[in-house]
Amino acid sequence: MNTALRDNAPVVAMRGVSKSYRLGAVLVSALHAADVAVSRGEMVALTGPSGSGKSTLLHIAGLIDTADSGNYLLAGTATTQLDEARRTQLRRNAIGFIFQSFNLVPVMTVAENVEYPLFLDGISSSEARERVAAMLARVGLADRAKHRPDELSGGQRQRVAIARALVKQPRLLIADEPTANLDSHTADEVIAVIRELCHEAGTACLIATHDARLTAHCDRVLALRDGVLQ
Amino acid sequence: MNALKWIGFALRNTLRNRRRSLATVTLTALGSAAILIGGGFALYTYESLQQAAARDTGHLIVATKDFFDREEDTPMQFGIEHFDKLRDTLLANREVRYVLPRLNFSGLISNGDKSVVMIGSGVDPQAEFSVRGPFLTLKSGQLLNEDSAKGPDVLIGAELAKSLKVEPGSALTLLGSTTAGALNAIDVKVRGIVSSGVPDIDKRLVLTSLATAQGLLVTDKVSSVGVYLADMELTAATRAKLAPQLGALATRTWEEEAFFYKAVRGLYDRIFGGLGLVIGLIVVGVVAGAMAMAIVERTREIGTLRAMGTSPGQLVRAFAIEGAALGASGGLLGALVAGGVSIALVFANLQMPPPPGRSVGYPLYVSFSPELALITLAAVSLLAMISAAVVARIAVKKPIVEALGHV
Ligand SMILES: Nc1ncnc2c1ncn2[C@@H]1O[C@H](COP(=O)(O)OP(=O)(O)O)[C@@H](O)[C@H]1O
Ligand SMILES: [Mg+2]
Repeated sequence: MNTALRDNAPVVAMRGVSKSYRLGAVLVSALHAADVAVSRGEMVALTGPSGSGKSTLLHIAGLIDTADSGNYLLAGTATTQLDEARRTQLRRNAIGFIFQSFNLVPVMTVAENVEYPLFLDGISSSEARERVAAMLARVGLADRAKHRPDELSGGQRQRVAIARALVKQPRLLIADEPTANLDSHTADEVIAVIRELCHEAGTACLIATHDARLTAHCDRVLALRDGVLQ
Repeated sequence: MNALKWIGFALRNTLRNRRRSLATVTLTALGSAAILIGGGFALYTYESLQQAAARDTGHLIVATKDFFDREEDTPMQFGIEHFDKLRDTLLANREVRYVLPRLNFSGLISNGDKSVVMIGSGVDPQAEFSVRGPFLTLKSGQLLNEDSAKGPDVLIGAELAKSLKVEPGSALTLLGSTTAGALNAIDVKVRGIVSSGVPDIDKRLVLTSLATAQGLLVTDKVSSVGVYLADMELTAATRAKLAPQLGALATRTWEEEAFFYKAVRGLYDRIFGGLGLVIGLIVVGVVAGAMAMAIVERTREIGTLRAMGTSPGQLVRAFAIEGAALGASGGLLGALVAGGVSIALVFANLQMPPPPGRSVGYPLYVSFSPELALITLAAVSLLAMISAAVVARIAVKKPIVEALGHV
């Protein structure tokens, strides 16, 4: 199986992707026959009320969940048949995650949190140190490198999470309601940082959000309702 | 470098819930200390019994093959001739310190009014008592000396002395059968009253010079020869070295003849082995429980790390390091506690009650064996590591999305 990522293919190419959950006797369709395409450097917002399937779509796109049916090519690579080890490797190489509640590792310093993906990739620590310092400077946290996450504000923590997600320059950034825990001013700052870094590096972004002001920053908006793309 | 980083993160994680880690380390330390103290007591007991057995028989016992394997039809049938020559041969070896003849005899001992059964030994009247050391106590009178053959003098066991109502200086008669089967009697004087610490032995014990015993049995043979070496460790090597010098004679080691030592060792090995097993299980339970709690608390973090591309194997290894760190800290602390107890007991001078069948107690000491401490430390660390890994293996298999949704 050829799993080499291709530069000229769309980063995300989903066709007819469906996922349903069994709740007792009934089958709940969380995502129905979704067709999604996101190209390099494109920032796509995913909107819809709570329970409409945004997270489900992001989990499948981020290779942390599997679809029941349909096809998903990540940068030209068919992902449907891959085993867990390959999916883990693809996540490590090609996908960055930003979570609603930051999910930083509390025993690691800010710098170590950002360095972690490089460490997983086996990048030498001297190179990693440089890239981490550069990344922290970009998100405006150069002076917080030695701090622990619990010494930071919410906005600062999310900026650390952005640095962590983008330090390895992934093909795809998955952000599930990244501003939901932040006040509107901080949310604006965070979105601006994501946008700037992704456009610069050509990273494709899929961002789930309720926030109308956030969607205004995006290149395109996909609306979901009851698992169906409108 | 990578390994060091994983270890660093694991160590920091052990400090996340200090109270729980402290409880885990404390319980593991108590378990390790219990193994080391119990094992140390057993080791001390083994060493004491080895000493006692070796001083009693000699490190090596030389006799004819038949003496070891068969019962005699007449006294001294399987005895050794030309003891003096044999002694010179043995003493020519550097490792050999003493060569002591033993002549076993039995018969009656009488005070004129009353006769009781005796079990006697004819021994080297001087050297015998220097090797016995603390394992034969003189209750009254004096030990045998080079003039004892002329008296002739005997030492008798404390219980026997009580039964015959004698004290040092009293006259007694020994009755026994000669090698030819005739009855023989000699008059002797009580020189001292001794105790072996075992009342059943003291009830029949008679020690006399080899010459006196040979006179009673009318023989110039000896039953067996105790060979005392410079060091217990030399036993096996010396046995092999002596074999070609001994012709038709056979040797046994002190251990082969130390039935009490072997019985105690068999019992203690099982008791303390069982104790070790139980404590090992407790350590497994304690560490597995603590790690299970830690892992459940960190479910969302596990999901996050998995999403970022950490492999399940890497996470299991990280948790295994964490478990091993807890186990190793407990093991080290336990070794310190056991070492402290071992030292404290030397100063405390506690006395254990006499074991069954004995009349004297013995001091309570616990040997501290660095070897046993290392083995225990390694075992406890390994058990802790394995139980953490097993618990973690179950946890990291949880679907990532579920783990991320965990609160
Ligand atoms: N693990 C699950 N088990 C059962 N139902 C689920 C599960 N995850 C999501 N769902 C259901 O799937 C639908 C879509 O959920 P989700 O993708 O989380 O929506 P959103 O992120 O837009 O709020 C909802 O009806 C939700 O109840
Ligand atoms: Mg959601």
